[in-house]
Amino acid sequence: MKISTNWLKDFVELAPPISRIAERLTLAGLEVKKCEPLKTPADTVFEIEITSNRPDWLSHWGVAREIAAVENLSLKNPVVDPETGRTPPPGWKIQIKDAAGCPYYTGVLIEGITETKTPDFIVNRLLACGIRSINLIVDITNYVLLEVGQPLHAFDADLIHGKEIVVRKPRQGEKFTLINGAEIELKPEDLLIADSDRAVALAGVMGGKDSEINEKTRNVFLESAFFNPGRVRKASRTHQISSDSSYRFERRVDPEGVDVGRSRALALIQKYAKPRHISAVIKAGEKPQLAIKTIQLRADEVKSVLGVEIKPSQIALILGRLGLQVKQHSEGVWTVGIPSFRPDLTRPVDLVEEIARIYGFENIPETLPARAPITLGENPRLSLERKIRQLLSGAGLCETVTFSLISEDGLDAAKDLRRAVQIVNPLQHGLHWMRPTMVTSLLSVIQKNVNAGADSVPVFEIANIYSLPDAHKHPVEERICAIALYGKKAAQTWLDHARAVTIYDLKGYIESILKNAGSVDLCVAKVDKSYFAQGTSEELRTWQTPLAFLGQVSGELLKKWDLKEPVYYGEISLEKLLPQAQKIRTFKEWPRYPAIERDLSIVVKDSVKSGDLMGEIRGLGQGLIREVELFDLFRGKRVPAGCKNLAFRVVYQSLERTLVSEEVQKVHDKIAQMLVQKYQASFQS
Amino acid sequence: MKDQISRIEKEAREDLSRVDSVDAAEAFRIAYLGKKGKLTELFKQLGAVPPEEKKAVGAELNRVKQWLESSVDESRQKAPQAGTSTEMFDETLPGIRPPQGSIHLLQQTIQEITSVFSRMGFETVEGPEIETEFHNFTALNIPLDHPSRDAFDTFYTTHGQLLRSQTSTVQIRVMKDRKPPLKIIAPGRVYRPDTVDASHSFMFHQIEGLMVDTQVTFSDLKGVLHLFLRELFGSDTKIRFRPHFFPFTEPSVEIDIQWGKGWLEILGAGSVDPNVFEEVGYDKNVVKGFAFGLGVERIAMLRHGINDIRHFYENDLRFLRQFS
Repeated sequence: MKISTNWLKDFVELAPPISRIAERLTLAGLEVKKCEPLKTPADTVFEIEITSNRPDWLSHWGVAREIAAVENLSLKNPVVDPETGRTPPPGWKIQIKDAAGCPYYTGVLIEGITETKTPDFIVNRLLACGIRSINLIVDITNYVLLEVGQPLHAFDADLIHGKEIVVRKPRQGEKFTLINGAEIELKPEDLLIADSDRAVALAGVMGGKDSEINEKTRNVFLESAFFNPGRVRKASRTHQISSDSSYRFERRVDPEGVDVGRSRALALIQKYAKPRHISAVIKAGEKPQLAIKTIQLRADEVKSVLGVEIKPSQIALILGRLGLQVKQHSEGVWTVGIPSFRPDLTRPVDLVEEIARIYGFENIPETLPARAPITLGENPRLSLERKIRQLLSGAGLCETVTFSLISEDGLDAAKDLRRAVQIVNPLQHGLHWMRPTMVTSLLSVIQKNVNAGADSVPVFEIANIYSLPDAHKHPVEERICAIALYGKKAAQTWLDHARAVTIYDLKGYIESILKNAGSVDLCVAKVDKSYFAQGTSEELRTWQTPLAFLGQVSGELLKKWDLKEPVYYGEISLEKLLPQAQKIRTFKEWPRYPAIERDLSIVVKDSVKSGDLMGEIRGLGQGLIREVELFDLFRGKRVPAGCKNLAFRVVYQSLERTLVSEEVQKVHDKIAQMLVQKYQASFQS
Repeated sequence: MKDQISRIEKEAREDLSRVDSVDAAEAFRIAYLGKKGKLTELFKQLGAVPPEEKKAVGAELNRVKQWLESSVDESRQKAPQAGTSTEMFDETLPGIRPPQGSIHLLQQTIQEITSVFSRMGFETVEGPEIETEFHNFTALNIPLDHPSRDAFDTFYTTHGQLLRSQTSTVQIRVMKDRKPPLKIIAPGRVYRPDTVDASHSFMFHQIEGLMVDTQVTFSDLKGVLHLFLRELFGSDTKIRFRPHFFPFTEPSVEIDIQWGKGWLEILGAGSVDPNVFEEVGYDKNVVKGFAFGLGVERIAMLRHGINDIRHFYENDLRFLRQFS
């Protein structure tokens, strides 16, 4: 809110410099975001951020009251009209048909306005606060709103039918045209100000076109009322209209301010509009009262919350400066009376905050909590994540952070999105899915980097994916590590050649992560994902638990993301990997007896899986094989078409004794023989 | 026997020609002179040689042995070897560097912040991103239809859940789950339907902290958070505590750090509001606590001089690798 310091001086002394006042306000909780000097007339305008709990600060008088409290100064009141010795306007009446929406409504009839020029000081002050001058009467209502915080509304009295004001709910299908010309369809919960025929204002939000003040207006009906904050807020949100008036009503205006605002406006109207006649005030309903009018406070509560001993006399003084009625019960115990403009004060702790504010947060000492050390285990999932981040970043991959909200682009509605979580109010067009996979997010990262000239994009992300397996239950979030590889494995150097990345690089990263976490006995299974090219994907499991999957992204998606080279993508489920992760590893003795290595180079059909051969070799090893490793794979040259040459290194080693070479040779020959029989393998040198 | 010796010598000559490294020289030595080496085997057979030939054969064996030993030494010295320079070495050639990966700057910042708190005994915990009205609003003393909710505009799912607009939800979950004392720190993603620009994003990261015990005061909050900011921004960091309003704390405070000529808001905090304790079933007359929340992006931007929040989510490798 904009606050003119000149205006503040009407109510409180401001000891210069003005920047000091700004700082004092900031440190009292009214953050002065900007101090803007004005030239004609000379003024300084504060831009103050006012928190939603303090609507009483939404006026110059309210801010002045705070300055008076902080600086321990006296506060002047605005000049008001005495409102005495007048007669009620003949024939006029006010009827409240919705007392919950409007507990208190007052009005006054002003007739025969003779002056219409707004005095300069009002024009300037409004302008300093960002409000344009419109006409004298409207300017005065705006002036009072900014000065004491009470929104008023002025109707052209001649345009009110039947001399009647009715506060009511809308009729079925009722419509209403606002001052700004927009026609709205009223909702049953709306609160209306109406005359005998039709609506004349959406209560507390905006007046109507048909009854607004214009240059011909000579007779004015001035409204000052208290509207239910919730109802005004609802109307303002439903119809998407926010005004200075709705902003204050929805935060709750001071019920006492209803009368103050009206009498302040009357004083200004009397002085500047010079009307022929002002009626007595007509009222309906009762001012709402605070639910909690007094609070018991003990000095020890102040200490236990703040951790500082403030003298009881000082506590009482501070509360008094804030305009609260302090009555001492006994030493350090008070009954504190709450004024109508502080509905936010309902509990002792609320008073403690007030005391702290005025005492000064800066005067509260800094201490460290006294407590014996407590044991805390490291969150095992986070430590697993940290390990993975180290491993992958150490291997040259870059971690990304992409949005969890995605569009359906590239995903299959039936396969991928059937159980996905959907957002009803997406911000950007299309981003209305909580991603069930990170493949499209990482494809976009690759695309962006390729467009920027990168020839190698190795990335990973550790984040959640989301699903709704059961529509009646809460959605499921699963932490995964996604990896995507594109382009070169490593750049060419003067020593090494460049090589394109392959799916086996991806598989290697995933295997390393799984093995480092402690999972053993990995096996592979088929997996079906809409976004992989057919027959190029697999799942890695340990026993029956799928831990990870990987594959080559389909050509269709590559085209969509405009990528020329293959993308390899995989996901590791950290939730499933976590139970495998070993906290403490047990030492394993390595064999003390020497190992004998034998190579086995065979030619088999392309369709034969190397994993099957390795399993077979191991199975035939009579317990003497420690390791089988594939160290070469090639096609072409002397290898017939449709076949491949696989070279295995078989390590024979016993835990109990030294193996004799003849013994090993026998086993080895037998294995070779079996491979020939079972897989039509042949040997080639 | 003599034939065997000369055959082995011939073999050795051939093998020797292929020795091109220190390792190969060693393998060569073991093959001939090791415990089971070819020449060693012949020495073992010396006992079986008729006495009249023994001397000559022995001399021959020793000759070959000496030759082998000196050959091994020689090839060791000739072989390119660690610690010896050759004419091939060019000290101006660039090194072959391992590929450069990186941990995302936001993650590094989260790790740094949580580790500061971890040293002060705070445990890192996490909570779900898809949440309920209760955890995101009701339990945090934010009434359904109240202006204080304006600051927490929210994405909703088609099934009535919402995306948390703050990590304060984690306080509620932990308090509902455990008994005091508590010292937790909870990093994570949060969502608000803000239009993306240089300083806003609809998804960003927050870290929430909470301490609950029987005697925790506002002065403890000041002490802990000042210590944290000094750890993060340096020991001469100037800070100020400014009263503010959050529905879930009372008193509430915003903490600014001095930055250039002005002040920058860096943390929101406060003593836990008794209403929150009531919502989670703690005895508000017995427990006290403080909570705080901070924006990870904001802190990372300040510390690293990043002027546009979008850099974090664009994942340009040129950005990511700057912080490896």
